[in-house]
Amino acid sequence: MEEGKVYSPDGVFAHLAMLEAQAHEAAVKQEEKEQQEEKLARLKARVQELRAQRDELRAKVDLQQKGQLGKEGVVSDPAQPSARAVVEWNIKRIKAMLQVFYLTGISGKLTKRGVCFCISTAYEGTYLDSYHLDLLTKPEEVQIHRHSIPIFIPLEQIATKYLQTDIRRFLAVLSDHLNAYVGRRYQADQLQEHFSNQIEGTLQRNSLCNLLVFNYNVSKKSQTFPFNARLLYGDLCCSLPTEVIVSCTPDAPASLAARAAAHSDAFRRVALHKAFRSFGSAAESVDGAP
Amino acid sequence: MDNGIFQVYEDEIQSLEEEVKLLTEKYEDSQQESTFFSDEEILMSIKSFQREFQGESKGHESPSDLKAQLESLEKDLSFLMKFTGIQFTSHSKKTVEKTRDRTVGKHRLSGHCYSVSFQLEFQLLEMQNKENVSAVITDLSIIMESGEDSDVSKFVSSTEERGNLLTFFRSLSSYAEWYEHRRFTFLHFK
Repeated sequence: MEEGKVYSPDGVFAHLAMLEAQAHEAAVKQEEKEQQEEKLARLKARVQELRAQRDELRAKVDLQQKGQLGKEGVVSDPAQPSARAVVEWNIKRIKAMLQVFYLTGISGKLTKRGVCFCISTAYEGTYLDSYHLDLLTKPEEVQIHRHSIPIFIPLEQIATKYLQTDIRRFLAVLSDHLNAYVGRRYQADQLQEHFSNQIEGTLQRNSLCNLLVFNYNVSKKSQTFPFNARLLYGDLCCSLPTEVIVSCTPDAPASLAARAAAHSDAFRRVALHKAFRSFGSAAESVDGAP
Repeated sequence: MDNGIFQVYEDEIQSLEEEVKLLTEKYEDSQQESTFFSDEEILMSIKSFQREFQGESKGHESPSDLKAQLESLEKDLSFLMKFTGIQFTSHSKKTVEKTRDRTVGKHRLSGHCYSVSFQLEFQLLEMQNKENVSAVITDLSIIMESGEDSDVSKFVSSTEERGNLLTFFRSLSSYAEWYEHRRFTFLHFK
């Protein structure tokens, strides 16, 4: 009976269609397989190419290191360098020199209509934000075209006083403000980052970072924050506070309250995070005493 | 064929490409830092450069582009030196460590601000994190001409201790101007 079905017209067509579908599927699979093999071959070749490049470079760098081991002085390229190489060397040298200017605090670039200055800031050895000031020096008076100075820095005041008469002085005063602001902010950030378990919640500060208020303790194990500090930085060009008030909660032990004056003194003289470090070691030495 | 094997090769390709990039930078840094050309050599090269490469276009910048770039950089540098009063007479840099996100360079710098000369050595650590590059100065050593002055030597040692390179330069500027002013005043009275 089934044989009869296969040999009927419908059965034959169905069978042919099935064979066709099978062949098609096989062709597709074959093509896929070939594509994957091709891709694999390409990847393998690329790996070989890169490995060879890498090995060549390693050998070159090794040779350089060996060549420099015995000599401290400068060495000229033994093969006669092309004029292009000399020019490119000089370009790199000058670029490096311009980067050094960045480290001095005032750098910049000449523009068609004036100069674009870059004021860099740092706290001790760590360089922090840099700010740009695009000045137009033509036709007559100096104008600030664009800048990235934060709005709470008194730029207009400083400009009114110095910009037209002494640009150097203008930049120096602006740099003082910016460096002091960034220094205050850095100290607050360091305190928050390294002593977060000794501070209740987060440090309260304004955008200019010249008013800080926080509750703290000196022991890392204590759960309460008996001290309250209020630091006011009256001099905007200074990163140490001009006014410090440290108070202690009324229910704190007398020994703790006595330290408030010492803390206040420390905050006035030393950077915020460094003062905290000194409290920590003082507290430990007291705790360790018999 | 499973995709796992493709991933293995692709990962290796990426890591090799990074390594090649880093080694290339190391090689070029080292070439740059150990080479020195005198002013005459530089001038001669600039002159012959345009003749040599007339019409060449290898995908490199054209001679006139390079020359324009050089002139623009020289103008910027000379402006900064005149404006700030800080003249660098020599600068040498040696890359002592270079990885994908960390570069340490040893710098030697000498120069003068008006009539006050200085010599500096420091290490600059540059680290690449997610958003930006951070720069930190360590091992700062300063030699100043007017080092006998006790105020100056106190300033120099506290600056060295804290790695305060920026403060050094800003204070140098105002000190040098004051010193210059004082010098002229004394000369006037001689």
